Amino acid sequence: MTRNNDEGKPHVTDPVVITGAGIITALGDTVSDIWSALHRGISGINSFEHAGQPPCTAAVVQDFDPAGLGIHPRDARIMGKHTHMLIKASRDAHHFARMQNASLSPEDIGFYAGMGMVDYEIEDLLPAVLKSIGEDGSIDYDRFYASAYQEIHPLWPLFMLNNISFCQAAIGLEIRGENTVFSPHADSGALAVVEGMRTLLDHKARIVIAGGVSETVSPLSLARGTFFDILAPETDSIALCSPFGNNRQGTVLGEGCGMISMELRSHADERGAAYSTMISGYGISCSKDAEVNCPSIYGIKTAMQQALEAAEVRPRDIDVIIAHGDGTQQGDRNEAEAINEVFLESPVQPVVYASKAALGHLLAGAAPVDIILGSRMIEQKSIPPVAGSYFPDSTLRVNLIKDLPLFAKTRRVMINAFSYEGQCSSLIIEAVRV
Amino acid sequence: MAATMSERRVVITGCGMITPLGRNTDETFEKASHGLSGIDYIKGFDTRGLPCQVGGEINNQWIEELQPPGAKRLQAYSARGLRLMMAATHEAAGLARLHEVTDRSRIGVALGSHGDNPAVDDINLLHRFYDGKGNWDLQGLMDAGGYSALNFFRRKPDAATSLLSMLFNCKGTNLSFVSACSAGAQAIGEAYRLVKEGTSDVMVAGGCEATLNFTGFIGFVLIKALVEKYASPQKASRPFDRKRNGFVMSEGAGSVILEDLEHALARGVPILGEILGYGDSADAYRITDTHPKGEGAILAIQGALDDAGLGVGDIDYINAHGTSTIQNDLTETRAITAVFGDRAKKVPVSSNKSMLGHTIAAAGAIECILTLTGMHRSIILPTINHEFPDPKCDLDYVPNEARMQSYRRALSNSFGFGGQNACLCIAKYEG
Repeated sequence: MTRNNDEGKPHVTDPVVITGAGIITALGDTVSDIWSALHRGISGINSFEHAGQPPCTAAVVQDFDPAGLGIHPRDARIMGKHTHMLIKASRDAHHFARMQNASLSPEDIGFYAGMGMVDYEIEDLLPAVLKSIGEDGSIDYDRFYASAYQEIHPLWPLFMLNNISFCQAAIGLEIRGENTVFSPHADSGALAVVEGMRTLLDHKARIVIAGGVSETVSPLSLARGTFFDILAPETDSIALCSPFGNNRQGTVLGEGCGMISMELRSHADERGAAYSTMISGYGISCSKDAEVNCPSIYGIKTAMQQALEAAEVRPRDIDVIIAHGDGTQQGDRNEAEAINEVFLESPVQPVVYASKAALGHLLAGAAPVDIILGSRMIEQKSIPPVAGSYFPDSTLRVNLIKDLPLFAKTRRVMINAFSYEGQCSSLIIEAVRV
Repeated sequence: MAATMSERRVVITGCGMITPLGRNTDETFEKASHGLSGIDYIKGFDTRGLPCQVGGEINNQWIEELQPPGAKRLQAYSARGLRLMMAATHEAAGLARLHEVTDRSRIGVALGSHGDNPAVDDINLLHRFYDGKGNWDLQGLMDAGGYSALNFFRRKPDAATSLLSMLFNCKGTNLSFVSACSAGAQAIGEAYRLVKEGTSDVMVAGGCEATLNFTGFIGFVLIKALVEKYASPQKASRPFDRKRNGFVMSEGAGSVILEDLEHALARGVPILGEILGYGDSADAYRITDTHPKGEGAILAIQGALDDAGLGVGDIDYINAHGTSTIQNDLTETRAITAVFGDRAKKVPVSSNKSMLGHTIAAAGAIECILTLTGMHRSIILPTINHEFPDPKCDLDYVPNEARMQSYRRALSNSFGFGGQNACLCIAKYEG
């Protein structure tokens, strides 16, 4: 199954290629719109107000009307914004891969996704709470248990299940093949792609749609980030997400979704599907930093080295790293240290890009969106600058691309994605040789 | 990246569980083999006024007694479901002598888990900072400091996986599954594939669930999935019986240690069984209903057989999902009949949920282990409360009494809300 490539390494002859993509972020809902905005250094991070809250900073998806998705009102009751984003991106990945022309049975298509946390809306529970308030202002449990709970909508529990949005997207696309759902951080979206890739290599599906979707930014998601001490502080101006910057103070939440369609190259050739990039390797590890909510250097390094070994390439063969780079103090330091250790012997240091400066932290959606951007880098032979006006932290010694796009031939891109609990994943995508 | 999977065989070298019936695998199996039920009236919260008041709770004292060394320091971060999983994994890791494996980066964790539900107390606190008109006093909530970060942490599905990895020093692949009732089986299935292809040498896999609290329970009351008519708690779960009318919610955890056969042989660790195949699918039908013909279930069952390279004639027993809902038991029967054809009525099919209730994300793992244990003891566990045969459910459900019968290969079904299906093919290890 292998032949030698131009670097003397064995080369897989039937790799997993990317034949379609769907994306939505604060910067737009097409790859070209987002790509264009990133090249112009535009950030989707902004101040927003939500239902009377104090202004918060996040990269939220705005001006997206789910009415265009044609969702039945019966189903809409148990859908949130995350569901709409997932359905939209999955449909686009399906559409651009031209699957409708592929003579596929529903069970031939696999489906994998990383899903963020699903937070309940206070409005869903408030009527039951208000109906059971006692004289002292607290819940009277007798009232609550006896009857007030019936104020909760019968379908509310389904909304709360992480897998329900996923199943709704599968129903819409009539997908019945291999599937699963991971949750909730950046590694989960990467793992969904990895599982999809393995499913294809194991011939369990002919095509796989895989990716991940962020949480809906809400008071609870912001509170969760704040309590975990990962968010950049709100200031008089908009909080910045400054990956590897000397003024980095934390991350900024974002909304978005990235889904890709993948298949074996032979299958894509057989049906005449277009592709230009493939996923050539991945690594997964778990090791938490002893002090802070982020992976350890060892964990990150292990995932990156595994990915290199799986792709059968050397560190010098990597042109760009799309770093996890979430703008947290220790998280970025550990990732930078791991990059420096892995690429220590490499004669040329890879360029480092971090999308979170412009898109915010999409959590489960982060890695799939970065895969789509990495594919674009390979196709367009250019790398956008990391958004924002700040100075790189020179002590981290990463080759961060700043201020202007870099136009350069890009053969391979490494993508890192981590959780705050120590889970690490690293993927390599590369140009498909003809 | 290799284009083809290696042909590693995946064996089970450890297993453990904690269920409403017992503190471990032996105790659970022993009681189940006598047809005992772990279901009772719920004591953990007030069920007055609710149409369902029964469940399969786990004795709190058991949980305390069974925590592994080191778990205490993680207790504040640990959801109840994770604490159950720690107990189950302690048993499994001991059997597999997991501590002897030297390369910890080759040990992964795959866990089906949904984290803690928001408690009524949470809602009580949060409503104070909300005016009911869309306006939130977020700063007030923060200043109150009453909503602990630990509440958020215990709700995160990956927190359980991460903490389990820390406790058992597993530094490899780390996967958190949230696919409802199929999560435990999917975790084992995906872990099996990781070992089979060579990504990991050893995987800790399984599932845990502890939704027997008001907010977790009420959700299923509202969608009318829980049993509402029963003569006694022990009679409430009655899969495939004509008078079944909903499932019984339970808590529990099941943990297996999967290992590359050669790795296990080199360590000289006892081999308990083998995973031969795994299939999964989606119904792509409706969120609230399973496909009436069981099309998704058929795909998963057939997928597991194909993956194992077996035909229906090779299967000696089916451990059913068998939830005791009208819909599931009927469609599962149809799916088994569709796949097994004439042989369907000759293969024993039984549901452990008749005795344990439905442990949601833990069910697939617990049922996998009980199937394996039954193989070793040549006992097929019964479907209890099978008193009124349903003419539409016409298979051999091993009614009411365990059956002494040797068997070598079995399937274990798990079907989740929303339409995610998984099936494991499990076998006795025969060298």
